[in-house]
Amino acid sequence: MNQAYWARNPRGPFATLIALSATYCHPEVYNDAYPELLERVRSAAPEDEQIRVFREELREALADPSRLPDDELAKAVQYDDGSSEAFLRRLWHDLYGDES
Amino acid sequence: MEYLDKHQADRPWLAIARNCPPEVQRIFVALDQRGGHAHIRHERWVTEEMNERRVRNLHDPAQLDPAKRAAGIDGLTPGDVQHRCGNIATRITDPEAFAMAFARGVEHPDVRAALDSNGPRPQPVILPISAVLGDDGHKSCSGWQLEPVNGSMDEARAFRRAWAVGDQSGPGPRARPVETFEGGTVTFAFRRSAVGGYEVSTMHVNPADEQPT
Repeated sequence: MNQAYWARNPRGPFATLIALSATYCHPEVYNDAYPELLERVRSAAPEDEQIRVFREELREALADPSRLPDDELAKAVQYDDGSSEAFLRRLWHDLYGDES
Repeated sequence: MEYLDKHQADRPWLAIARNCPPEVQRIFVALDQRGGHAHIRHERWVTEEMNERRVRNLHDPAQLDPAKRAAGIDGLTPGDVQHRCGNIATRITDPEAFAMAFARGVEHPDVRAALDSNGPRPQPVILPISAVLGDDGHKSCSGWQLEPVNGSMDEARAFRRAWAVGDQSGPGPRARPVETFEGGTVTFAFRRSAVGGYEVSTMHVNPADEQPT
């Protein structure tokens, strides 16, 4: 019944990246939620499996944005950055700075 | 209700509830006393013109200071923070339908599970409009959508942001009414509640072509 990409495809490509990006970065919640994502990532416990997967998928998506499924990220997040790649680059910079 | 009377002047989105049945009024009051903005940005008090300006120029209906609204300043975030909007700005046009959608939505098992969760902020739940408003529920929805730039919504949103914060000479962003919400969805997003647990941060309807494929 839940029609979100991550609900229909819990094991689909980049499901965690898209789900967390929608949860914290969609414009309807951004001003309230984005600072919460920054805090969650910075204070993430090693056992926070969702953040571990999120980081791994973010790294993979940045390495090859063409692997993202169709327009799912753009539809879920509706960023102002101009492209999925630009959004992901900003996200990585904000969350992980110069880490590689 | 006392709360509606007390906030008649400072919370104009409550005026719509004054002539509604008591059970609808109770939902509006409960929403307003919590932290969500569904009834402030996605309900009938937001006019067609306000939604058109929101999606085209990032003018926030929740911003009650006209100068700040024109400057694209968010009305619900502390400080002078820029307002944000996606491809569309939508509303449920009937307050009783809005209240019904909310009441039915929070009873849906997926929404209930999110509200009852204890971990990090729950992921949004996206349901068919028909699940909360019935088969004709889409008729109670309206909205405006940003027009693509060079065939791209990514470019359109970036152009709108640049326009909103920069030089506004020349042609600006364009928007058009959503033709139909038939087959559309309603999104429930969540935030931590001041009284513990989670609450609905917002509830907004989406036309069919805006939902995930």
